[in-house]
Amino acid sequence: MEDWMSCEEDYDSSDRESPDGFENEDSDSHWMPFKGPSSKVITKESLLAAQKEDLRRVMEVLSLQEHHARTLLIHYRWDVEKVLAILVEKGRALLFAEAGVTVGENKDSDMPGSSSTVLCNICIEEFPGNEVTSMDCGHCFCNNCWTEHFIVKINEGQSKRIRCMAHKCFAICDETVIRNLVSKRHPDLAEKFDRFLLESYIEDNKMVKWCPSVPHCGNAIRVEDDEFCEVECSCSLQFCFNCLSEAHSPCSCLMWELWTKKCRDESETVNWITVNTKPCPKCHKPVEKNGGCNLVSCICGQAFCWLCGGATGRDHTWSSIAGHSCGRYKEDREKKAERAKRDLYRYMHYHNRYKAHTDSFKQESRLRETIREKISNLEARDSRLRDFSWVTNGLYRLFRSRRALSFSYPFAFYMFGDELFKDEMTKEEREIKQHLFEDQQQQLEANVEKLSKYIEEPFDEYEEKKIMDIRMLVINISVITDTLCKKMYECIENDLLGPLQFSVHNIAPYQSKGIEKAVELAIGRSSKTNVNQHPESDSQTNGGNTESDQPSASGTSDESGCPSRKRARKGSFGCSLIDLNLPAEAIDRN
Amino acid sequence: MVDLTRVQKELQECNKDVEVSGIRVAPKADSLIHLIGTIPGPLGTPYEGGTFNIDITLPDGYPFEPPKMRFATKVWHPNISSQSGAICLDILKDQWSPALTIKTALLSLQALLSAPAPDDPQDAVVAQQYIKDQNTFISTARYWTEAFAKATGVEEKVKRLIEMGFPEDLVRSILEAVGGDENLALEKLCSA
Repeated sequence: MEDWMSCEEDYDSSDRESPDGFENEDSDSHWMPFKGPSSKVITKESLLAAQKEDLRRVMEVLSLQEHHARTLLIHYRWDVEKVLAILVEKGRALLFAEAGVTVGENKDSDMPGSSSTVLCNICIEEFPGNEVTSMDCGHCFCNNCWTEHFIVKINEGQSKRIRCMAHKCFAICDETVIRNLVSKRHPDLAEKFDRFLLESYIEDNKMVKWCPSVPHCGNAIRVEDDEFCEVECSCSLQFCFNCLSEAHSPCSCLMWELWTKKCRDESETVNWITVNTKPCPKCHKPVEKNGGCNLVSCICGQAFCWLCGGATGRDHTWSSIAGHSCGRYKEDREKKAERAKRDLYRYMHYHNRYKAHTDSFKQESRLRETIREKISNLEARDSRLRDFSWVTNGLYRLFRSRRALSFSYPFAFYMFGDELFKDEMTKEEREIKQHLFEDQQQQLEANVEKLSKYIEEPFDEYEEKKIMDIRMLVINISVITDTLCKKMYECIENDLLGPLQFSVHNIAPYQSKGIEKAVELAIGRSSKTNVNQHPESDSQTNGGNTESDQPSASGTSDESGCPSRKRARKGSFGCSLIDLNLPAEAIDRN
Repeated sequence: MVDLTRVQKELQECNKDVEVSGIRVAPKADSLIHLIGTIPGPLGTPYEGGTFNIDITLPDGYPFEPPKMRFATKVWHPNISSQSGAICLDILKDQWSPALTIKTALLSLQALLSAPAPDDPQDAVVAQQYIKDQNTFISTARYWTEAFAKATGVEEKVKRLIEMGFPEDLVRSILEAVGGDENLALEKLCSA
């Protein structure tokens, strides 16, 4: 990613001396993922800050103490908006009651004077006032019993919701009291308790998840508004936020799960064996019939009848085996074999194409290397051409569209197969939709291959004129490919997954600029702050800087950068009007 | 460790008003870890007249962890296993509070006997019967109470069967084998 960015910057500066007027310089920065990413990396260090941010919001609105705010947020799964919505809908009292928050004045009234002794109802002993503790709910027990209770609950894994000891009291105990009492007897357990509270922000929060890296990088990712998205952690792992497996859009998470399982199981190999071979009745090895009559001879020497699989003698004619007869027709078996065969071929069709594209984009690093070489070769030449961003841009466009293309095959396998949507469409509907989709897919495929072909050409050895031609082609096809990717996603979202009646399949939206890199959460700043307000932060290199160079771009970038899941259909794409070197979304707007 | 002082106090407290509550708790052996609780079947229910024994084991964390309880007397009830006597009651699980005692838990069991909760069953067969055929449920529950929860029952059954002309040894062993069911015992005796 960095390489590309640096090239992009080169491009910006060199572009103004560009010999021809093809580029539209102003819009060129749209290529880059400069929009403030909506996902954030939360590290061990910033976890506390992230939590405090939400706590502060709730504390401010409801004028609460921190431990009450935490109890509230743990109960409502760190959804501040939800807390506020319930506050408006049901009122303060109910909001608190449901979460077990007691903000009461009874604490003082019930507080025993230090002179008198108090009977602890748990151990049934008398204690002086300084050895007992009252919770916010007013229930008062001796410190020993409280401590014992807390220890049992922490060990049970209940740290986040330790209730008062009184029967039918639903109040959650004050975390400070818990911490103080427990640390006196078990300092390590108190630490564990604190960690549980801290990590609740990740564990009990649907917008925050641990990065699934192995070995674990220690980071968590927070997304802002849509959990169906793909992100890149600062450890550089890219993954699907919803299911935590590798990025797989436009496959839905369920499809992807089924697909990986299917590929892993090798169930199809087994299938092939059942369809195409029969076990030898003697040595039980699978035997494939490669021609000839129905008397098959196994490598072990045993002869058997191919029709029924039974052992026979070797005496036979073309049409019958001596002393053997099994002519009865078994329709069932034949049908079954046929179906298995069909399913297998279908799977192989999709799998082969999926595999081919996956393998291609796995070559990413190698191709990037060659491209870098070519560029440096070209740069070494004394030429008018000094801007080679079109090469890197084209390369990244290639990777991205190949990715989408490759995952579109398992998608199609399930979309038009019997496994998931058998009852969703009639056979005719399915056929129409399949044609529609395949048409899009094939257009994309053709252009991806074209792009690949031009990028792999040894253009660094060409003369200038020819390089210019290739440059035009690459730029052009890049734009078309991007548009086609987008159209394929639109087809998937609006025409295929959208109308489903019985099941919901959400996919991560198409990211023209590739999978979004989550930025590290800036400690002490509001999560909603736009990135470019603090461009000094190192981790946000891609972000603000370029944007501030191009202030005019910032206003429109948001709508196009992150298309919503159910994007509105856009008008026809004026392919004839394409501005060269412009990303597709820039053209959409024109 | 179990807070034995508290257990001791609980036992004293509980046995003070046995006459009123009918609920008894006694150590099973020498230790205070294993106890036997006794509750009378609530009036106006099929369990009326029966006396039900409950096996109680106190976990290490008692009273901060709930006591383990199990019906030692066979009982026909949707929330109690007819096989093992295991009990499905929230206060013996996550709703336990250290402020509760063995006695209050036993009182809750008594309450459970009079108010079954078939939607949250321990014994699916019994629960189905309770929902679909109340009458059969009541008569089965009453029959089980009669057969298993009446201390005097056994001797009377032995006496009746001997009067029918069966030898006492055989009557006793067969009665025990069928779990105290007089009719089953009679059947076996006849076919023996």
